Amino acid sequence: MPGMEMASLPAAIHAMEALPKAEGSGLVCAVPPRASAAGFAASPVAAEAAAEPPQDVTAGAGTAYQSRTRAGMINRKPVRYLKDPYPAFSAIAVNAENDMVMVTDENLFRVVEYSRRDNTPAKTQITEPRRVIGGPDTKTEMMCGAYIDPQTLDVYVTNNDTQNWLPVFSREARGNAKPERMLMTPHRTWGIAADEQRQEIYLTVQDPPLVIVYRKQAVNNEAPLRILEGDNTELADPHGIALDMQRNLMVISNHGHRRFYGGDGHAINTMTQPWEQWVSRLDDLNSPPRERLLGVGQFDLPSITIHERGVSGNTKPLRVIKGPKTQLNWPSHVAVHEGRGEIFVANDADDSVLVFRESDSGDVAPIRVIKGARAAVKNPTGLSVDEKNNELWVASMGNYTIAVFPIAANGNAQPLRMIRGGPQDHTALMIGNPGAVGYDSKRKEILVPN
Amino acid sequence: MHDIRYNEVNDEILVPNPFSNAILVFRGGANGQEAPIRIIQGAKTRLDGPDRLDVDTMHREIFVPDGGRVLVYPLDGNGDVAPLRVIEGPDTLIAGQSLAIDPINNLIAVTGRDRSILVFDRTANGNVKPLRVIKGEDTQIDRINQMAIYPQGKLLVVAMPGRQGDVEPPRVFVGMWSLDDNGNVPPKWTINGDQSTLRKPFAVALNPDNKEIYVTDMRLNGVMTFSVPEIFEPVAR
Repeated sequence: MPGMEMASLPAAIHAMEALPKAEGSGLVCAVPPRASAAGFAASPVAAEAAAEPPQDVTAGAGTAYQSRTRAGMINRKPVRYLKDPYPAFSAIAVNAENDMVMVTDENLFRVVEYSRRDNTPAKTQITEPRRVIGGPDTKTEMMCGAYIDPQTLDVYVTNNDTQNWLPVFSREARGNAKPERMLMTPHRTWGIAADEQRQEIYLTVQDPPLVIVYRKQAVNNEAPLRILEGDNTELADPHGIALDMQRNLMVISNHGHRRFYGGDGHAINTMTQPWEQWVSRLDDLNSPPRERLLGVGQFDLPSITIHERGVSGNTKPLRVIKGPKTQLNWPSHVAVHEGRGEIFVANDADDSVLVFRESDSGDVAPIRVIKGARAAVKNPTGLSVDEKNNELWVASMGNYTIAVFPIAANGNAQPLRMIRGGPQDHTALMIGNPGAVGYDSKRKEILVPN
Repeated sequence: MHDIRYNEVNDEILVPNPFSNAILVFRGGANGQEAPIRIIQGAKTRLDGPDRLDVDTMHREIFVPDGGRVLVYPLDGNGDVAPLRVIEGPDTLIAGQSLAIDPINNLIAVTGRDRSILVFDRTANGNVKPLRVIKGEDTQIDRINQMAIYPQGKLLVVAMPGRQGDVEPPRVFVGMWSLDDNGNVPPKWTINGDQSTLRKPFAVALNPDNKEIYVTDMRLNGVMTFSVPEIFEPVAR
């Protein structure tokens, strides 16, 4: 992990609090004081000279809860603290007509806005976003999907597996803003796309694997319009979703983790209460209750499944792109360029962007691959296509970077522009939703799955 | 991924995968896109989306909390392996979100219904009652994530991230109970408060040699190390 030394961090971090240096190569920092709601709203103009790390809207002192104990409440500082002070850009949505680039940040729990013309100079540490939405009132945490309404410029954000809400923010929302409205969504919701003609939003849910469609204006515990789910769908830990309105297609990326419903392959709905009651329960994880085969599962190859846009139930895809030639490896967000008939895939675990034809099927090689040191694509999860300017936007979680490419870019391509939220050439810690920790006593290492 | 355990006897890492219904075992030094050396998966396993686990290297078993039951597999199990034992049934009171093993005192701590911690004998099987139930308002339990045990001290350490759905829950802490505790008892110790900086602790692991607890905090996306020598005191057996 080059550059991840205490000495390379901005001076402000050192000054915050004197904590021991970590063993190993991780970032160590102290928690800065909690920001006020007004305090972290960025200036309206992008300030490219900024050198400080972004304000962590979640940072601050611990809770004030005074626990009742028998031997004592241990209220002491950690002796070491691993934490990346820079953003983890996860999802990106671009509205070129209104110069809006909305990016979700899964590390500091913010939605940030840039201009599509922003370009961080090499000698500059970071580009400050011109708008920041973040804080406990926003109901945002592990934000993995973003969508901009082309009419209202509202921003829709999906939370994954720590909050079961889909908040919608107005064009004016800043700071610790309450959402304009919220929709209760199933646990593990990931991708988002919208059909503006029918005024519907499409969401992927990782497990049980499904595509769920709501009215675009749905709020609170409203029931979905339809669900695509079942063994025949070949959905397998679905992530990204994109719609091609010209060809009436729905394109889904799948990581390949599967469980099976068995029998005739139909999804079995075992819900014992109306959707509106079930989804509003806060006493469990709100995973749609489903009966699936015990013990049976599969590590299938990652895939792109292509479906008719309006399908529901246990319907087979029209075609599937899958196999070793595809190079798919944790395919995350997908986008389509309707004019070119192409599918773009943020290929997270391969540090690449893959491009396929929408007509592709089976074990086919991508027609283009963006990858290499110059391209600066590192663990990309976010991706958006700007058909107006024929540009491809790629958000990388691994290097604090948003890169803009010409739509036909191929190979180790030089980005047209880059927006950096952290120092150049640093590798991000990529600790995201650390749900467990282990200790390897042989190597004296801390194990942190994400 | 909501659990990870290190098997220091065989130098292996174990993780559950709920989306593929499997338990994966990796080399201890695994790195990059390395394949697991063993996978427990298949109809005989009866797994139903395993989310957490723990390892008993002394008796060479893997324990998996699985909804209303606990499944026990051989440590070297591979493929479609039937559980050695299953603790399940109405008398168990199990709501299996999390679990930890004490191989020295032969005990299992597992989450139970109504925000409780249940303590069973390590060899429990079938529809058995827990030996002890830690439950009630004085426990201050809202939700339990990962758990760990310091067997020499007969001490259970639990990550308490607060109520599901709260962005910044008001009542969060790392809680510690004796495995002999029973009923509506406050924790022996907690780690929390403004100095701790904890906001939503999701997981705990213990390093008795250094007298440290490692805590991951979801709201901070960080990993903290707390030096807590006072909790690593062996108890007489």
